Amino acid sequence: MIRVDINKCTGCKKCESVCAFFHTGRINNRISRVKVTNLYEIGIDGPVMCIQCEERYCLCCPVDALSIGPLGQVIVSPTLCTLCDACEKACPIGAIEKFKDFVYVCDLCGGYPRCVEACTEGAITYEAGSKKFPSLVTIKKETNKMNPSQKRYFFLNKLCSEIRKKWRRVHA
Amino acid sequence: MLKYGYGGRILRIDLTEHRSQIEELDPSWIKPVIGGRAANTKRLYEALNPDCNPLGPDNILIFGIGPLTGSLLPASAYYTVTAKSPLTGILGDSAAGGQFAAEMKLTGFDQIIITGKADNLLYLMITESGVEFVECPEYAGKTIIETTKAIRKKRKDYSIQVASIGPAGENLVLFASIVSSGNRVNGRTGMGAVMGSKNLKALAVRGSRSLEVADPLAFLSEVEKINKVILDHKEYQKRYQMGTTMLMQDLNNIGILPTKHFQEGICKYVDDISGQKLARTYKVKNKSCFNCNVHCSRYYIAEGCEAEGPEFETLCSFTSRIGNRDLPFALEMNAYLNQMGLDSISTAEVIGWIMECQEKGLVHPDDLDGFSITWGDRDKIREVVDKITFRRGIGDRLANGAKKLSESFSEEAKKLVMQVKGLDMICGDPRGIKAYGLTYAIASRGSDHLRAEPYFELTNRKKEAKKRFGTEKAADRLAEEGKAALVYYSEKIALLTDSLTMCKNIGLCMDILNFEKASVLLKTGTGIDYSAEYLEKILGDSINLDFMLNRRFGVTKEDDTLPERFQKEPLSEGPTKGSTVNIQKMVDEYYKIHKWEK
Repeated sequence: MIRVDINKCTGCKKCESVCAFFHTGRINNRISRVKVTNLYEIGIDGPVMCIQCEERYCLCCPVDALSIGPLGQVIVSPTLCTLCDACEKACPIGAIEKFKDFVYVCDLCGGYPRCVEACTEGAITYEAGSKKFPSLVTIKKETNKMNPSQKRYFFLNKLCSEIRKKWRRVHA
Repeated sequence: MLKYGYGGRILRIDLTEHRSQIEELDPSWIKPVIGGRAANTKRLYEALNPDCNPLGPDNILIFGIGPLTGSLLPASAYYTVTAKSPLTGILGDSAAGGQFAAEMKLTGFDQIIITGKADNLLYLMITESGVEFVECPEYAGKTIIETTKAIRKKRKDYSIQVASIGPAGENLVLFASIVSSGNRVNGRTGMGAVMGSKNLKALAVRGSRSLEVADPLAFLSEVEKINKVILDHKEYQKRYQMGTTMLMQDLNNIGILPTKHFQEGICKYVDDISGQKLARTYKVKNKSCFNCNVHCSRYYIAEGCEAEGPEFETLCSFTSRIGNRDLPFALEMNAYLNQMGLDSISTAEVIGWIMECQEKGLVHPDDLDGFSITWGDRDKIREVVDKITFRRGIGDRLANGAKKLSESFSEEAKKLVMQVKGLDMICGDPRGIKAYGLTYAIASRGSDHLRAEPYFELTNRKKEAKKRFGTEKAADRLAEEGKAALVYYSEKIALLTDSLTMCKNIGLCMDILNFEKASVLLKTGTGIDYSAEYLEKILGDSINLDFMLNRRFGVTKEDDTLPERFQKEPLSEGPTKGSTVNIQKMVDEYYKIHKWEK
């Protein structure tokens, strides 16, 4: 599975542009499956993408357009999907989002994630065949009413609290 | 129709009437200027009444990006803001990196042209469908980050990028800046004051149009080559660790680190204020502009404050230039200036000039409402920066910049303002870098290195110098021979980076970009044919346009000079000891190459 170390992220968004480019030949953060948020007020940047959570909230899809592939990735069927937003609402961290006529979520690039390759900082890593998946139960409760952008913002704020504490301990 | 690279549209905004208009970008109009800075200047040349009040509704404020902005090309996310400068009264522009430009690209607007003046403070929300005028009296006095955070929170979208002014811009400090991405500054020539004069607090951009290049695979392969050159570059590690602050030590080593307001070129306590010290002690992480693999910016925490930066200019401006040896204090100032929206170079020039003049007895405290200050006096510096920001007390006069301030003092005091054409000089003593000296003198926005950034003269490549500029001396920093030719070449590459757009640290200093490379990038990126020869020609034409525009503003050849200090007083110690600049000779030669005189 994909792991992100936001301690190492500089906010360059290379992962974001490379993802969109690899999948579509174009650049646009809306069609990227990994989305970087820059938290200018606290110096934190971080990519958010599907982390293949234990709960798989997105599978609540009412028309079963979503399924889990052999790598653990989410697969969206464009023919079944009715763009109803159920998955987008269900995901606790804003990792799946509709734009125009498609739903964008990390597909692990078929086991060879381009974002991992693109990141010169080693902030994104991939471990194939991992069986341990993180739980998002606690986050889920807190982000229920948010839109995907707000969820990503909230999630990053949660993730960085330890890093911020360490920074301040060492430097302030 | 421009399909690739470009957004293909321009957005005209009239703040007085709250009206806007979307137009197609005419391919035949844009081709000879490419985009970015060159396109902005052309727009200004065509539309601006040169006699207009820079702080009046008739001034035209242009945000411009280029065809490759926000593409996979590394370090390509630059935008330029252009208007008539309230500080200098001539062509004003300033560029910044960060994330704003890449998001602006997704709105599909290559230029945003703003005129008029709003009745009440407002911000502009710009998306692919156009502009929304949002009155925001509650944002008055807010810092950059407060404004950014408030807009994002209110609109529930944290991908919005904001370019905002701080209190300094609202108070029309003539060297106020525009700041985006929290700490990315359009610092020079007072573009923040122009925004303030229009009652425009901020531009927020959020797009959803995709950027397409003409030949994705060929473009990608060019980008991969450039990525490799960057990562293998011998300066990569140094730039990664320290960014431009590496220059503190580098300039001191050659005796040209401005110290005590350019009276000295060697700073005895450089180790206390160097880029190394900053990286070792206060840096907590690297920061990066959109899609760059150098990640040269840094986030720091120092005592009570934290921010991104500083770049070399700010660091030097608030340490050696004004006699301060306390690094955390300089970092505190960096954070404060960025959030208040003040240009660090011009702010430090006002302070440094008063310090030197008071030391020499040329400016009496009574002439400054009782204000006196000595080298490195932190409390006084804090106090005066705050007064400038809010135009309080003596700050009201200081907020007009060092040159205007000096006008009520003696000839001797006036000569001590380190400025050309009203723009305060950057940190780098021209006595030890002659091509830079020439650049300061001829730069179309006033004293500035970025118009040419002739970094080549510091790279000691003699053979290359002979081949490219006709003399080995072009690579000798103390020589004046060959420097006009070097600047004549570099200013085109500098304009090319500003127009594509690309960061100069990479495009120019790391010597990545040239006409041939740009020709391939433009062809694969936009699908439009640009031969290397054609590029060289149109960039020359654009530089002529800068020249002609400034002639309209009343600039003459006499203005292309350097402060007397650099021409007559040699530095007293170090590797640049004894050197002065014969600026007239270099300017004459430069004019001759340009055929600007008969």
